[in-house]
Amino acid sequence: MSARLAAYPGVPPLIACAGLLALWELAARVFQIGGLPPAHAALAELPRLLADREALLNILDSVRRMAVGFALALACAVPVGLLMGRSRLVAAFFNPLLMAIYPVPKAALMPIVMLWLGIGDASKTLVIFLGVSLPLVYHAYQGARAVEEKMLWSAAAMGLGATRRLVRIVLPASLPEIFVGIRTGLVLALITMVTSEMIARQSGVGNILFNSLDMALYETVYATILVIGAMGFLLDAAFERLRARLVAWAEPERAIAVGTT
Amino acid sequence: MTARRTSELLVGALPIALILALWYGLAASGAAPPSLLPPPAAVLSRLMGRLGDPVFLEHAATTLARLFAGFAIAVVVGVGVGLAATGSRTVEALVRPLVRILAPVPKIALYPAFILILGFEHASKIALVAADATFPILLATYQGASAVEPKLVWSALAAGTSRRQALIKVVLPAALPSVLTGCRIGLVISCIVVFLAEMIASSNGLGHLLVYAARSFHTVDMFVPLIAISILGLALNAGFNRLRARLLAGFPEEN
Amino acid sequence: MIVIERLSKSFETKRRTAPHLALADISLTIADGEFVSVLGPSGCGKSTLLYIVGGFVQPSEGSVTVGGAPVTGPGPDRGPVFQEFALFPWKTVLGNVAYGLIEQGLGRAEAEAKARALIALVHLSGYENFYPKELSGGMKQRVAIARTLAYGPSILLMDEPFGALDAHTRTGLQNELLEIWERDRKTVLFVTHSVEEAVFLSDRVVVLTRSPGRIKAEVRIGLPRPRRRAELLVDRRYQTLVVDIERLMDRPEERP
Repeated sequence: MSARLAAYPGVPPLIACAGLLALWELAARVFQIGGLPPAHAALAELPRLLADREALLNILDSVRRMAVGFALALACAVPVGLLMGRSRLVAAFFNPLLMAIYPVPKAALMPIVMLWLGIGDASKTLVIFLGVSLPLVYHAYQGARAVEEKMLWSAAAMGLGATRRLVRIVLPASLPEIFVGIRTGLVLALITMVTSEMIARQSGVGNILFNSLDMALYETVYATILVIGAMGFLLDAAFERLRARLVAWAEPERAIAVGTT
Repeated sequence: MTARRTSELLVGALPIALILALWYGLAASGAAPPSLLPPPAAVLSRLMGRLGDPVFLEHAATTLARLFAGFAIAVVVGVGVGLAATGSRTVEALVRPLVRILAPVPKIALYPAFILILGFEHASKIALVAADATFPILLATYQGASAVEPKLVWSALAAGTSRRQALIKVVLPAALPSVLTGCRIGLVISCIVVFLAEMIASSNGLGHLLVYAARSFHTVDMFVPLIAISILGLALNAGFNRLRARLLAGFPEEN
Repeated sequence: MIVIERLSKSFETKRRTAPHLALADISLTIADGEFVSVLGPSGCGKSTLLYIVGGFVQPSEGSVTVGGAPVTGPGPDRGPVFQEFALFPWKTVLGNVAYGLIEQGLGRAEAEAKARALIALVHLSGYENFYPKELSGGMKQRVAIARTLAYGPSILLMDEPFGALDAHTRTGLQNELLEIWERDRKTVLFVTHSVEEAVFLSDRVVVLTRSPGRIKAEVRIGLPRPRRRAELLVDRRYQTLVVDIERLMDRPEERP
């Protein structure tokens, strides 16, 4: 592959994709495993899946829950994080609690939450909200902490009160770090959503996955996996573009260790 | 301990204490029926009871075993590939696009595939844990290894070390702070993923116990595995931090 | 003996299309046991010259031969000492110094014994089990020197080794370096931007132009050895040499 071609940003991942699919096809043919249909069969299933009204509704439901949970988390977590970053008291208040919650898998709360809130949207949205809040708070906190003291002193000298300083200086200055948190949060939202659907089995892509598994519709299972994978990739790529545009003024970002449940 | 530290700890304990008080209050007042919210005392005594129960402990051991197996694979693959990608342009060119597409994909979506190919038992869970935990470890290793000061490597090369050996003898130890940070994240992820995998499709393990209790409407028994995995996660995290401090004895303190 | 012939080095840059020429047409011969300093303004490529001799960087044109054999890569015959010390942070002082000895195939016990002797040579006995982070800059550099001496290179390549140290530590280490050098008179290629340091330490000073670096002048330092700082500072010949070389460096370059 010529170096020129590889320089275009979209090409190597595309080739990697094609490579993986080819590998899959080969492995299925060579190893003849019952549970692994060949790639082309799964791909053929895709159009049928996406055209199916019920499946589409399921997917849209998933996305809606994710969006709502995420928006709520953003509204609550970012202010908390910013306050934590500027006030030792607030930080001391929330830190131990957050550290205690961190290792608890939020999706694992599904059965308990379903007990209290029923099997509808509320339980899944709550779990997504909880899952996404943590990285958002953390990154808002880190971002606010790192804001240069001198910037705030200049602002205070100009007559800005504490709240205005928070909104007009701390928030914009923390934006690059917050965007890192949003990116992590998006990935987490997707994961939490799919997982909670797998546990709750009511609607959504997670549900389609395990339903197909139960009904031994293997091609559908793999086709759904491809759909979810594509969702994850597209979401992340779209966000990256947005982020780069919005915070172009920030220093180059370090690669993120992506992926928590 | 300074006065400030003590006051900070007290402030930090406040929300946790408030939540516990709320829990206790709701249960005791009868505002929440015990079938929905068992009193904290009931949960605690059930937890204590289960910790002495060999059947429960066997489930916990199963979860732990799967966790460690998956984590071990993730460490070997993550560190190995991360290092290899630093040492070889070809490997890097191969790995980079693969990581780019696979990293944002929720690996949990692969779980049904793992079940289909590897069966319902341990292998599918271990595979899922490994799949999820590998990425942060790989990324952290690659980042850390790329950032190693070339003059460290040059010093070793001048002393007679070959380029290949230098990867293991110099780059890896020099990148250890980064690698271990990635491993810690990978460990937490392993904890979470194994539990979730057991909740979704398993006949044993702590995750399975939670779902089983939910299906049998034993609310108290739902809390127990959740608390158990959280304690486990915290303990593993603390233990790992200890190990990390030991291994990084020579490195300057970081934030 | 080091023979550098028509050496040039250019670096690819990402921004500009034309590559950056760091060194141009350097030809230099260094005899065995000679202490040669390379002087020049910042960015003139003097460190690059050192790295090429060390085999860490490949030249774009020209060649370097050491003892008749061309340089293809790093090796224990050419030992580097870097300004940033480049000590292995996960090893103790003893571990660092013994590294080269173990690479040479010595057993652990023997390597450590030899390492201890070297640590004593650089006046750091008692610090064997310290980690580099616990040492001062001057001490770290002493460890770095000991580590390089451990694998017995016949040539020392020193890249502004005292540049990161305060003035007092610096002069102390200059003296120590000369003491160590007097013992077996290795060949030394020493990069610096301090004229006084160059004159104090060397047999010959090579002055480079600013980037792209070419040889502007070579000055022989005929001062007798062993050299003592206190005596030299009030020595007329030393002072004249320093002033002359400074003037030389300030002199505008003739465009070729």
